[in-house]
Amino acid sequence: MNRKIAVAGVKSAANVLIAVFSLVSIFPILWVMYSSLKNQQEFSFNILSLPKSLHFDNYVTAFWDGKLYLYLWNSAFVSAISVVLTILIGFVSGYFLSRFSFRGRNVVYTMFLFGMLVPVYGLLVPLFIEYRNLHLLDHRLFLVLPEVTFALPLVIFLIESFMKSVPIEMEEAAYVDGANTVSTLFRIVFPICRPVLSTCIIISFLNIWNEFPFALILINSQELKTIPVGLTNFVGQYTINYPQLMAGINVSILPVIIVYLCLSKRIIQGMVAGAVKG
Amino acid sequence: MGKKLPNPRWTTIYGFMLPGILVYLFIVIVPLALSIHFSFYKWSGGLSKDFIGFHNYSQLLQDAKFWFSFRNNMIITLLSIIGQLGIAFVLAVILQAKWVKLRELHRTVLFLPVVLPAVVVGFIWNLIYSQNYGILNSLLKGLHLADWIRPWLDDPKIVIYSVTIPIIWQWIGLYLIIFMASIQSIPGEIYEGAEIDGATGFKKVIYITLPMMYDTLRVAIMLCIAGNMKIFDNIFVMTGGGPGNSSTVMAQYAYNTSFGKFQLGYGSAISIGMIVLSLGLILLSRRLMGGRSLES
Repeated sequence: MNRKIAVAGVKSAANVLIAVFSLVSIFPILWVMYSSLKNQQEFSFNILSLPKSLHFDNYVTAFWDGKLYLYLWNSAFVSAISVVLTILIGFVSGYFLSRFSFRGRNVVYTMFLFGMLVPVYGLLVPLFIEYRNLHLLDHRLFLVLPEVTFALPLVIFLIESFMKSVPIEMEEAAYVDGANTVSTLFRIVFPICRPVLSTCIIISFLNIWNEFPFALILINSQELKTIPVGLTNFVGQYTINYPQLMAGINVSILPVIIVYLCLSKRIIQGMVAGAVKG
Repeated sequence: MGKKLPNPRWTTIYGFMLPGILVYLFIVIVPLALSIHFSFYKWSGGLSKDFIGFHNYSQLLQDAKFWFSFRNNMIITLLSIIGQLGIAFVLAVILQAKWVKLRELHRTVLFLPVVLPAVVVGFIWNLIYSQNYGILNSLLKGLHLADWIRPWLDDPKIVIYSVTIPIIWQWIGLYLIIFMASIQSIPGEIYEGAEIDGATGFKKVIYITLPMMYDTLRVAIMLCIAGNMKIFDNIFVMTGGGPGNSSTVMAQYAYNTSFGKFQLGYGSAISIGMIVLSLGLILLSRRLMGGRSLES
């Protein structure tokens, strides 16, 4: 009987422990979300209470006066182009690396893996110098290149390991029928890879949307900044008004949170597979 | 499988691989070569550039600020290994049990911080630490622990710990999921055998789960080292490396030197030093924990 009570005690303690950690993970985010709807007085009166009346004007200010709409648009622009390029290049490279053994394959493979291992922040200064010498600074299109580069290894790896589980018969048949490489790649292999490709798209999008240091040093103009960098500007301007600040934070993470809540299973699987590889 | 497709022509393969290889050369390899080149010069970005040989490197070796920032990276890494992996392991073991309530929800919630931008995590924790309007201080007041209140981000003695907690907070979810996947892959018969021999819950964890997860733990530790060697975003927005340089990490130091003081030659040397140190540590830890490849 005592043992039963002890077991029940351990079980409830474990349940409580997990609940506490979940709360610690989510509460700061929720706090920022609901506090963003208060006004300054209400917030300073009691920082933890729920808002009594909803002040959506914080969002209007953040979005228009704080120029977050501009930063969001820039991020959307850079992310969209980067994701498309990452997927195209990653898919093709991953396919060739998994299907064929050719001279130099291991060199190329190691080079891509090195990209996952090398501390990208060591490349900040060198890349800045290169961009400055070539006059590529301050162009959104050229910001795409480092974003693609650092999103690529994960995509290549996911495609490559997925292809290992795909039988080659269909491609074989296509080649025998005289199909060329491009149409085999995009008419036959691409559709087969659809599930893994969608994982790749989501994760690359998240990484590129969140990327900060390259966007920080390669872009100078206020009107070309992406959301993480723009947000630092915004916060600098509104340091005293906390609810205002929180509205800004929310605007910048809303796309990320929506994507996560809709596709959390995919994201978790993909990120874990990529992390373990790196 | 084992079957391979007939190889297309060499030129076809490289034709398709070319875009990937080119973008890599342009973004990783060429800048690396450039920075090795510039690290031999005293150069502040202008036209004049003096070749000074290894002087930047000998300066780097004696640069107390650089080694202090490396020490900060190491402190963050060690605390993260203990905090992230320790907490994630305990939570993973618990979440494995069928009787835990709302398992799916916990998993989703605990992983959520992983997908947030590090910049935003920094801002959120700035708010939490805030003197008058922060959750932390009002929580301490509520618990009648008001004398524990500190200037969390302004006290040079504790700031390095204050900036580490958000890092631990953000990444627990990733290791939790990695560990859960690993625990799930342990065959159930092993536990059944142990139960017949009289092993109880806690002993099963120590004598079966932990050893069976050795490979995963190894990978996790390496991930942790690699991740924390390149830590930058959240510290940049939380303290900018301050007060003084008490929370400066290597990436921040390279940034300050290159973009604050515009010493691009020395900044390049710091970048190379950073890459060498991080890769060295990753390879060393790999050696120490057994040399098998990661791909298993």
